Amino acid sequence: MVDFLKLLQNENMKIYRRAATWVMFALVVGIPVMIALAVYLFTPGDRPSNWFITLIASNILINLVAIFTVVKAADSVAGEFSQGTIKLLLIRPWNRSTILLSKFLALILFGLIMTVTAFVASFVTGAAFFGYAGSPEDMGRDSPWTYMLLWYLYQFISIVVIATLAFMMSAVFRSSGLTIGLSIFLLFAGNIITSILMQLDKPFVKYVLFPHLQLATYLDGGPGPLPMYSLTLGFSLAVLGAYFLFFVAVAWLVFSRRDVS
Amino acid sequence: MSQSPVVRLQDVTKKIGSRTIIDRISLEVFPGEVFGFLGPNGSGKTTTIRMMVGLMSITAGDILIDGHSIRREFPKAIRHVGAIVENPELYRYLTGYQNLVHFARMVPGISRSRIDEVVRLVGMESRIHDKVKRYSLGMRQRLGVAQAVLHRPKLLVLDEPTNGLDPAGIRELRDYLRNLAREEGTAVFVSSHLLSEMELMCDRVAILQKGQVVDIRSIRREPETSEAVQDDVWFDVDRPEDALRVLDGLGKGRLEDGRLTVTADRRTVADINRRLVEAGFGVYGIRVKTKSLEDQFLEVTRGESVG
Repeated sequence: MVDFLKLLQNENMKIYRRAATWVMFALVVGIPVMIALAVYLFTPGDRPSNWFITLIASNILINLVAIFTVVKAADSVAGEFSQGTIKLLLIRPWNRSTILLSKFLALILFGLIMTVTAFVASFVTGAAFFGYAGSPEDMGRDSPWTYMLLWYLYQFISIVVIATLAFMMSAVFRSSGLTIGLSIFLLFAGNIITSILMQLDKPFVKYVLFPHLQLATYLDGGPGPLPMYSLTLGFSLAVLGAYFLFFVAVAWLVFSRRDVS
Repeated sequence: MSQSPVVRLQDVTKKIGSRTIIDRISLEVFPGEVFGFLGPNGSGKTTTIRMMVGLMSITAGDILIDGHSIRREFPKAIRHVGAIVENPELYRYLTGYQNLVHFARMVPGISRSRIDEVVRLVGMESRIHDKVKRYSLGMRQRLGVAQAVLHRPKLLVLDEPTNGLDPAGIRELRDYLRNLAREEGTAVFVSSHLLSEMELMCDRVAILQKGQVVDIRSIRREPETSEAVQDDVWFDVDRPEDALRVLDGLGKGRLEDGRLTVTADRRTVADINRRLVEAGFGVYGIRVKTKSLEDQFLEVTRGESVG
């Protein structure tokens, strides 16, 4: 167990010893500050509540967090192949599955830290510029804490699924560039695909991955991503879970079996 | 060599699709031995090495390291192996030291003082805290050796280790490897397509051609200087044809590529020289043509191009 933690420590070192990672964190902290500053300067009269700022900043940040996590996922396995370090990494007394697990956990941890940073940064800047309101009127909700925390939880679940998809592609293609390109394309095409799917009246539509990534549509008793199918949160979570397991299984099979050449 | 081998390849075969890349290779490397794996590019050296360290699957046969099968008991077998496969590719954005810490964490029982010891061993003290991306290829080779010996492996596998090293670096590496074999009893397995290098470095050499081991032979370490030994000797003289006639049965003379070549012992060589000079020939050079590994290699591989 202690030994496995050392593998995790190694993977963390490979993430946090890179300048690019700190640029990512700087953006996640800097962007809400700029948003709050802009709103503060251009709305001299009727100021919004801190929660309104938090929600706006979060909506922007969460896309960024998803992209950054996907970039790290793409680099996780493929980066070792493109640098050639995989040949030194795999000739240690560890099974390939364990090494893959350490990479995956380090990635999820990175996504979690990013998500928490996004929440803290958008909350703190909101409160710093506009004061703290216990029950803001402009969000139309009694309990902004519950809403925002659930919102972040749902977004984090989506990020984990997307990151796992990127992680799988990283292991299959062994190319960071292809993986990053493809996953970011899917990330954005996801919304378009969802809106096209809404026009179709086919039974398979509710099993497609992309609509279910919009878990926040269930908040406040919402109907979910595809209103005409009367989906439930449980159903969406089950679909996401199934995709998650599939991605993990493919990544594991490919990584543990294939020759390294 | 009554000891048990550190590594044993048993009829190792690799097929990719219908193509046989490696064809029933069997060999053993013993403790304290530097074993050369020699073959032209594309003969399957790297493929064999990749199978030895578990990066590639083995189609048939098995590889035992310290008695453990690399296919069935990978962690136990690889525990005793240190390797550089192809180029020493390390994490470029980490420092040399961080790279060593990374690999040290993956094997139980490597202390910080062992890392420092290895850093001294490869002479990297002054640059170890620089990022690897600022290293020259020679320095990366050193760091590659450092990560390979960190855990005191019983088997050290190096794929073309002298690539990118300058002559001084090659010499240093050679001395280091021979020392490692002698002092610590490490079995060293080195691949190369450079014949002269293998000749200087190795105790035994396997010659690989088109995925098959065509020959395994020992390298004569100490050149024999006994009077009775007959060598092929080249005489660089004017008019070699006439000179051959002057020899008149001294040694076994002949012309090779227009050069006067004589098979003779030391004393006869001196006699031949005297006779040539007395007969008025200018003798510009006398060279013993030792049969190098290169000649042997070319003989065995029937002159197929190397390198």
